[in-house]
Amino acid sequence: MILILFVSIVLVAALVSSFSKNDSRMATYITLLSSIITLGLSVHIALDIVFSSSHTIVAIADWVALNALGALILLLVSFVYFTASIFSIGYMRFEKPGSFRTYYINFNLFVFSMLIIPLIQEPNSVWIAVELTTLFSVLLVGFENTSAAIEAAWKYIVLTIMGAAIALLGFLILYWAARQVGIEHYTWDSLLIAAPYMSPVLLKASFVFILVGFGAKVGLVPLHTWLPDAHSQAPSPVCALLSGVETTAILYVILRLLPIVAAASAVDVNTWLIVVGLISVGSAAFLLLQVKDFKRLFAFSTVEHMGIILVAFGLGGNLAHIAAILQIIGHAITKSFAFYAAGGVLLLMGTREISKVRGLIRKSPVSAIALLLGGLAIAGAPPFALFLSEFSIIKAGLFKGEYITVGLLVIFIAIAFFAIMNHVSRMVFGRDDAKSSIDNKSYSLPISSKITFAIAFIPIIAFGLYIPEVLYKLTILAAATVGGW
Amino acid sequence: MSKYILFNILQVLVVMLFSPLAMGVLNRLKEIVQSKKGPSILQPYFDLLKLFQKDEVIPEESTWIFRVTPYIVFMAPIFVTLLIPVLTSYPLFWAFMSDMVGAGFVLALGGFFAVLAAIDTSNPYGAIGASRTRMVSFLAEPVFLIVFFTVSFVAGSTIPYIVQQKWVTPVSNFFEPSHILLLFAFVMLILAEKGRIPVDNPSGHFELAMIEESKDLEYSGVGAALMKWGGWMKFFVLMIIFSNVLFSPWGLASALGWGAILLAIPLVLIKVFIFILFLVVIESSLAKLRLFRISEFLSAAFVIAVIAMLASIFE
Amino acid sequence: MQVLQSTTPLITNLNALAGGLFIISAFGIVATRQIRASLNFFIIQSLLLASSAFLLGIEPFSLDLFAVGGINIITKVWFMPMLLKRMVKEEIYTRREVTQVFNIPTSLILALILTILAYFISLPWIQTQRVLSIIHVNVPVGLAGLFLGAYTLVARREAVPQLLGLLAMENGAFFAGVAIAPDLPLIAELALAFDILMLTFVIGILTRTVNEHIGTTSVGTLSELKEGVKK
Repeated sequence: MILILFVSIVLVAALVSSFSKNDSRMATYITLLSSIITLGLSVHIALDIVFSSSHTIVAIADWVALNALGALILLLVSFVYFTASIFSIGYMRFEKPGSFRTYYINFNLFVFSMLIIPLIQEPNSVWIAVELTTLFSVLLVGFENTSAAIEAAWKYIVLTIMGAAIALLGFLILYWAARQVGIEHYTWDSLLIAAPYMSPVLLKASFVFILVGFGAKVGLVPLHTWLPDAHSQAPSPVCALLSGVETTAILYVILRLLPIVAAASAVDVNTWLIVVGLISVGSAAFLLLQVKDFKRLFAFSTVEHMGIILVAFGLGGNLAHIAAILQIIGHAITKSFAFYAAGGVLLLMGTREISKVRGLIRKSPVSAIALLLGGLAIAGAPPFALFLSEFSIIKAGLFKGEYITVGLLVIFIAIAFFAIMNHVSRMVFGRDDAKSSIDNKSYSLPISSKITFAIAFIPIIAFGLYIPEVLYKLTILAAATVGGW
Repeated sequence: MSKYILFNILQVLVVMLFSPLAMGVLNRLKEIVQSKKGPSILQPYFDLLKLFQKDEVIPEESTWIFRVTPYIVFMAPIFVTLLIPVLTSYPLFWAFMSDMVGAGFVLALGGFFAVLAAIDTSNPYGAIGASRTRMVSFLAEPVFLIVFFTVSFVAGSTIPYIVQQKWVTPVSNFFEPSHILLLFAFVMLILAEKGRIPVDNPSGHFELAMIEESKDLEYSGVGAALMKWGGWMKFFVLMIIFSNVLFSPWGLASALGWGAILLAIPLVLIKVFIFILFLVVIESSLAKLRLFRISEFLSAAFVIAVIAMLASIFE
Repeated sequence: MQVLQSTTPLITNLNALAGGLFIISAFGIVATRQIRASLNFFIIQSLLLASSAFLLGIEPFSLDLFAVGGINIITKVWFMPMLLKRMVKEEIYTRREVTQVFNIPTSLILALILTILAYFISLPWIQTQRVLSIIHVNVPVGLAGLFLGAYTLVARREAVPQLLGLLAMENGAFFAGVAIAPDLPLIAELALAFDILMLTFVIGILTRTVNEHIGTTSVGTLSELKEGVKK
């Protein structure tokens, strides 16, 4: 029952926001409240799963249930929801006063749609939930209502719905394969049990379609082209949600499918994952070199990290899977922090172009340090969380003997590191020349942003040094659900 | 044995005699649809009679091609008539002389000589019309081929008589996707080959825009009569192929007696009339396409034909 | 579930006919210039999808499939065009897309190649079991519909045909689904129908906004956000 309670909190927040007026702050505070409650509940649920014997929670049999990986996703979504709500307080006040109602309704509904994805056990309904995430976030992406924002929103919806239609066929083929074997109740778990008996041709076909289709939402090349546009135009808290957790939630769906298809042919699956992952990391690394807009910078970094995660899963073996899950956790928290920092810079400087922002450290130390730390963290420097997970992935790869893959991965990560640090350090430390004197909005950041920086930063550094016992157990459980093949 | 030969000759006579009537009915109907009175349906006969009695005037620069062409254009559809089922559903004497692909080539022969003759006249309008006709035929070739191939593939033979049986028994075969799609493609083909709207305007007098009509421009007297009559027969033959082989292979005589044959004549005419009605509807509701849009029209026909082929291969 | 059920040959042929016409209407969506014509072809395509569902539901009798067909007709044939016409100005429908990425015959040939590709890709799937011949028809046609819809998205620059391309892709996936997943829970069908309506709604809003801001709905030519383009 707790699961139902869990999602209804967010729904209630959306409902209440719809009743608030456009310029009242009620919606803001209600959302904040709901995010705190949601976070608390998700921690409780995670603890439940870790310490229970079956490591699952069932609300409605065959329809609503949760396993370890799902609990992890819920935790991540709630956390970013929380930090994004805090950040929205200040951000919305400066960016667009007078449209709170639309923003918060969509905001809450968007989070709701992401939260239900891990809860649903019937694959076809999961597809519907994924469609819902797109529908609720489109208006958020186009929120600024400039022509660039509308273009970004258009590309977003067209590419993701195209991917969803491709994935729909994949799900239908999966259902077909299941019907051939005679499954009674169609859930992820029963698919897992029946997997060895299902036709490998159909399983592989469905996997390819779902990977390509949902890969559009996750940000895998070649359907990733909406990502940079959407991220450069959407408000920063929305970017944090989109990049940090929406990609992760959709990745969850692919991960649920992985062990089922691996039963048909593990080798093929690994190969595809590694190939698609490497292509994404490589393209992102090279695109990062010539990016001109710092929010696009972080967007390409999302593509890169999703590629790394996919490669990690493709390497196979328990070690690599645990490292991949750690990467998922690290990416969610780090990427959201990075976008908050970028949002801060946007508020201060009023421009998105890298070339126009110089010498940030002299203008506003807080935002400069945040940006610097965000850049370092997302590029994978020690002692932050992502360094630990990337290192583990490389170690696992070497252990498995996949030298070429690991070598390529290291090269691409290094290129990306160089690119990100190049741009970020120029923005933070660069000399103040005539091009960059556009600080017409020379106020300091709102308090809420600074609070957000602080709160969001804690896990990044904490998990880089020491992962709490409980979280580590959850990670191991989550990796186990993907299967140790 | 002799009956087979006789019936075959009767087929040819039917085509020769009734093709002008078909044209007359078509023209009259078109005028009626436009709320005009229209010429008499026997008008083409009167035209032919008039032309046969007139003198011929021939351009000085023309060669033997110009003189031979009317006869070739007149004979080509007659040869094709020997091969296709017009009145009977069982093969007649000369039926195995050639198959559908051969029939297509013979018809094309007539068209080829007509084009040569149009250039031969050294009249610039003739050359313009000739090049346009070639363009349309060239674009229509792939459609023809695919249609024929699909039909033969499905029916297992290229002889029209055998093909016709395939679509009749059992009735559900009529609705096979390859069949219906082929009907569409073939109708579009007829429209293109015979220069009806939307490909060309058959009642236009503007030489710069003519496609089909330009080949009769320079002829007079007997030559003009033969060219016109040959054109009408080709049209009638195409309609017969459509109606009897592809569309509704019913109503044909299946017995060997005179009664059955004579009964078949009006039935065939009724089928041709239905097709004419359909054609009148199309002609009155569409506009003529611009020249380079004809390629779009024909590529649509091509695509439909290929899908028909795919549907039949992957049955 | 490997029972070799049989439907009458007449139904099989009619269903195959619906499949052939389905592909042709997908071609129509790609290749017609005027936006209203594209919309009409889409309506025809949805009608064919519904008729396939009806035909397959006749024998063995399945009320689910009839419901699927009915839902399809209500949403895609009646409601969605009405919604679209309300949200997007009438004037947009009369626009012709004069500049296309490829000219029409090339577009048609490319679409044909995609159809043949779809047939080849789905061949190993059909051979996985002793299947009903309706699956032989529906799965390749559905996959071809998917590819053709994606091609429409690529080849057309106007907003409404892009929306129609998206919906045509879903039509294609459904066409295959009607044969391979005939007993999909009805709730899923209803949710899908609702989802399509929401999609139309959202895209309608976007189209209207695009029109207000930019003056045309030629979304394929928007290029402010490309790399290397100086703002």
